[in-house]
Amino acid sequence: MMADLAIRESQAQAKPAAGDALTQRLAVLPHPASGITAAARQDALARLEKMGLPGRRDEYWRFTNPGVFNDPVPAPIPVQTDANDSPLFEDIDRLRLVFVDGRFDAAASDALTGEGFQIDLLSAAEATASHWAGEVYGVLEANGQTPVSRPFAALNTFAATEGVLIRVSGQVARPVHIIHRRRSDAADVNLHHVLLLEEGSEFTLLETGMIGARSNIVIEADLRAGARLHHITAKLASHPKVGIGHIFARVAAKAQFKSFELSVNGRMMRHESVVDIAGDDAVAHVAAAVLGNTADGPFHHDNTVFITHAGERCESRQVYKKVLSDGAVGVFQGKILVKPGAQKTDGYQISQSLLLDGDSQFLAKPELEIYADDVKCSHGSTTGAIDETALFYLRSRGVPRERATVLLVLSFLAAALDEVENADLRERIAERLEEWLMHRAQNDRTQNPPA
Amino acid sequence: MADLATDAIEVREGVDRETVETVQNMGSYKYGWDTEIEMEYAPKGINEDIVRLISEKNEEPEWMLEWRLAAFRRWQTMTEPRWALLTYPEIDYQDQYYYARPKSMEVKPKSLDEVDPKLLATYEKLGIPLKEQMILAGVERGEDAGEERRVAVDAVFDSVSVGTTFKDELAKAGVIFCSISEAIREHPELVRKYLGSVVPQSDNFFATLNSAVFSDGSFVYVPPGVKCPMELSTYFRINAENTGQFERTLIICDKGAYVSYLEGCTAPKRDIAQLHAAVVEIVILEDAEVKYSTVQNWFPGDEEGKGGIYNFVTKRADCREARAKVMWTQVETGSAITWKYPSCILRGDDLSGEFYSIAIANNMQQADTGTKMIHLGKNSRSRIVSKGISAGKAQNTYRGLVTMHPRATNSRNYTQCDSLLIGDQCGAHTVPYIEVKNNSSRVEHEATTSKVDDDQLFYCRARGVGEEEAVALVVNGFCRDVLQALPMEFAMEAQSLVAISLEGSVG
Amino acid sequence: MLEIKNLHAELEDGSKQILNGVNLSVPAGQVHAIMGPNGSGKSTLSYVLSGRDGYEVTEGSAKLEGQDLLDMEPEERAAAGLFLAFQYPVEIPGVGNLTFLRTALNAQRKARGEDELSSGEFLKIVREKAKTLNIDSDMLKRSVSVGFSGGEKKRNEILQMAMLEPRMCILDETDSGLDVDAMRLVAQGVNALRSPDRSFLVITHYQRLLDHIKPDVVHIMANGQIIKTGGPELALEVENSGYGDLLSEVG
Repeated sequence: MMADLAIRESQAQAKPAAGDALTQRLAVLPHPASGITAAARQDALARLEKMGLPGRRDEYWRFTNPGVFNDPVPAPIPVQTDANDSPLFEDIDRLRLVFVDGRFDAAASDALTGEGFQIDLLSAAEATASHWAGEVYGVLEANGQTPVSRPFAALNTFAATEGVLIRVSGQVARPVHIIHRRRSDAADVNLHHVLLLEEGSEFTLLETGMIGARSNIVIEADLRAGARLHHITAKLASHPKVGIGHIFARVAAKAQFKSFELSVNGRMMRHESVVDIAGDDAVAHVAAAVLGNTADGPFHHDNTVFITHAGERCESRQVYKKVLSDGAVGVFQGKILVKPGAQKTDGYQISQSLLLDGDSQFLAKPELEIYADDVKCSHGSTTGAIDETALFYLRSRGVPRERATVLLVLSFLAAALDEVENADLRERIAERLEEWLMHRAQNDRTQNPPA
Repeated sequence: MADLATDAIEVREGVDRETVETVQNMGSYKYGWDTEIEMEYAPKGINEDIVRLISEKNEEPEWMLEWRLAAFRRWQTMTEPRWALLTYPEIDYQDQYYYARPKSMEVKPKSLDEVDPKLLATYEKLGIPLKEQMILAGVERGEDAGEERRVAVDAVFDSVSVGTTFKDELAKAGVIFCSISEAIREHPELVRKYLGSVVPQSDNFFATLNSAVFSDGSFVYVPPGVKCPMELSTYFRINAENTGQFERTLIICDKGAYVSYLEGCTAPKRDIAQLHAAVVEIVILEDAEVKYSTVQNWFPGDEEGKGGIYNFVTKRADCREARAKVMWTQVETGSAITWKYPSCILRGDDLSGEFYSIAIANNMQQADTGTKMIHLGKNSRSRIVSKGISAGKAQNTYRGLVTMHPRATNSRNYTQCDSLLIGDQCGAHTVPYIEVKNNSSRVEHEATTSKVDDDQLFYCRARGVGEEEAVALVVNGFCRDVLQALPMEFAMEAQSLVAISLEGSVG
Repeated sequence: MLEIKNLHAELEDGSKQILNGVNLSVPAGQVHAIMGPNGSGKSTLSYVLSGRDGYEVTEGSAKLEGQDLLDMEPEERAAAGLFLAFQYPVEIPGVGNLTFLRTALNAQRKARGEDELSSGEFLKIVREKAKTLNIDSDMLKRSVSVGFSGGEKKRNEILQMAMLEPRMCILDETDSGLDVDAMRLVAQGVNALRSPDRSFLVITHYQRLLDHIKPDVVHIMANGQIIKTGGPELALEVENSGYGDLLSEVG
């Protein structure tokens, strides 16, 4: 009750400068009033009020209009009646957690137990007297607010209604798979997951499915020394998605963080990856394969990455590939920050887009900011159309144009997919992607029969 | 032994004996002396009266004054941009002199013969010949060896142009080369048509300030079909204390014409930072070509970061019509603060825009520099090659924009930007913006950051080259793509500057 | 097999006429060589026949077993039995060599109304053929041409030829960039594919490839036309006295 009051008070104190937009946004935002995260939520609200919601002139939102994330309520998106779970990971052994419009569906999910890790729901943990996540919730998000502010992450920490808290102690081979489903047209979903990987542990997290009419997901991942996290999020269904996601990772000595995103179509998506390589000899790889046309309405997909090297002899890789057509817009903002003393850093970043027609756009800001001398950092960015010579080569071997185009798109995306370490998962993704591309090519043909 | 060493080095790519010798022979910043000369100042600070005074001193027509006043009023509503990766104390714009000229220039000299010998001696000492028929020291061109290479010079001393050489000969070819103040009086139709047409009065804080208070600078007009018979050059010297220099350069290269333009700058060593906010506008019409090369050697401040020039410069070329070409080459070794983005607006079709840059920041220097390639027309090519070197406690940032508009079809950009770090106290940063809005264009950007290669250093030292010289050699090799783009005599000056600028960066 | 009549072609943008009336007839089972100086139009002929974008046929015809090639898409020409071994095979990272081969083979079979090969059948055949070309399983697993040496790339082209079993094979400067051993290996591969119902058109600048792949007929091409046709001895003539004499003789 006290916490609730405190929140309301600070809400009332929100400066007009932070904008009426924020007041309106907060007014309709349900949020848990008390529990183990109450203090963290208050801190997050204070951060949010200080930074305000982003505007069009905000440098960090130069290429993406934050409007749909600023709106108090999302525009409804009709639920597709034939929407099924993605078959991507369906026949592998995994622990399934089903969320319907952001609410946990216990009946549809597996039991919350497994060897080598402890798993709880945020809502359940809130009610306990003490829980490990109470010390962790919101901490990495707060650290990730400098030097660039990320208001929607703070908003999420403040308002998240549910999430998964996983503490990993062993080498866990069986992935945890979060499956999202939709039932309501207008759900506004705020989920906040916390992963704590103890020393030497290993874990795989998979995410699939559509989330609400608008989603705001935060994942905080704390990798202790020598821990290994594999994270794959795949949005293969063609659907007008609106969402913003943040993953905050802290990577301790000799730990390895690997995160891969596959995203197909959508409407307005922004994914921020904020990785703090804190220990020595650590590794962080982030990658995405994004394909968009405007079959589901205007397509805009933004990957924003900020990797900070503080440890010595660490390696980071960013591999971002976007295939765009029909007026789709792809955005990449990526930064490698090498702090003083982070010697022997090996930082690599590539952002590439393949524009399949003349209407699409790719907007990129690949940055390096380096304060140590004994480093090897590079980035590259290319934009262009499909390689006509390669297309001809394939066709001269008898491969029809549309299939040849699909092969070249897959070829273009291959380096991003290679970042999925597990060969089985990687091949599943590649196969599904190829199926999807062929399906789309055939749809294109039926819609626009060749002249 | 020394001979052996230099011989061995000569086989290595991108380095040569000159560099070694230059390093051995030269001290640090060699242009740091000042000229004792009686000066006339406008009162400190900026207001409408000062703007009127500058206009009056230049004997300007009313329209020019109105233009300045409009800029000044605009400037008062603007705030200084702070987005660059630069840290410097607040600039007190009221604590500057906006106009300073040698007393002897009160009555305009009719020819160089009438110019105060002290001023001529200043330029002589800088190695800038103001006597016609002289050639730049040691310059011979391979293909026409024996023929003297002549360069026409406009020399700007604080706020005024001291004199311009070879005017008559250039006039015979139809080329106008004079100070901008003279152009405003003698060629108002050209100035009115083009001034502010590339960098509008309201473009940015510093350009607007310049529009209000610019005192002098150079003006070039090359008429249709004329290949300018010699290279043109402006030499800027800040001498007076507490004085801002605000020069304005306007170059118009008419249809089918060609000009190569060189710009050099120095300033005395002073403890207090000095402000420099210049504007360069270049208009290039159909089939015309302009090469603009800068060796910027303003006083960079001392090892502790005291003094030096704060350099906020707006340079822009507008390729207005088909098949126009522009090439920017800059060697930035000076200035305490550099804020500078020579840009290309590629408006016509089938254009070519190039930007080659070496930016060296040592000690406490900070540079935030790069370019913009704005592709508006079809079938154009642009190329950016940037080499940034950071040493000491310096911060060096490449900031660039490449944009392909939807109608800029079948265009290409290639960007290569490399950073080299010397020592673990400095920083090297890359901030490119890439905006591609059509798919028939291809844009490629590559950037690398690394330290000076230990193997290369060791190789040089094993051949008897001292560590500092070895660094200079390796850095010159690192910069060779840009050095090759410079006119010959500038390339040599640039090589030695590279060496001098890095003094004290090792050990 | 291949009938080319009065073929004229120019660059698509109309800037340059490259083929100026090529006449050529390659009967089934024969190997014909086309030799000529640089810029004579040899490679353009191979591109025009296989349907590469960028060229406009302004006059004439090209028929493969009576089918008009010029009306077909590149993949239709391939399915009809035409194969072009590229001078510079294209690298396709991320697409496995085997995947590519199988995709191409099954696409062609499908286009011809034949059943697709099962994975097992396909693998069995490809392994067999790869062995004769000294292509190891590692090369089959790698991405198409990525990281291949010059010789490996050309051998891979011949493997594709062996798998796709075309009726009409065009080899565009296949010898370029190869050392003697690599060339011998490639030539052996080609010779193994010679049969009464398969024809070859070998485009080359030098005679040396023809030591290994013996032609039935040699054509000399210059300025976009066949200027002289003869037996294998014509290639030797070129080898000994260059193109200059031949050109002046005709000109």
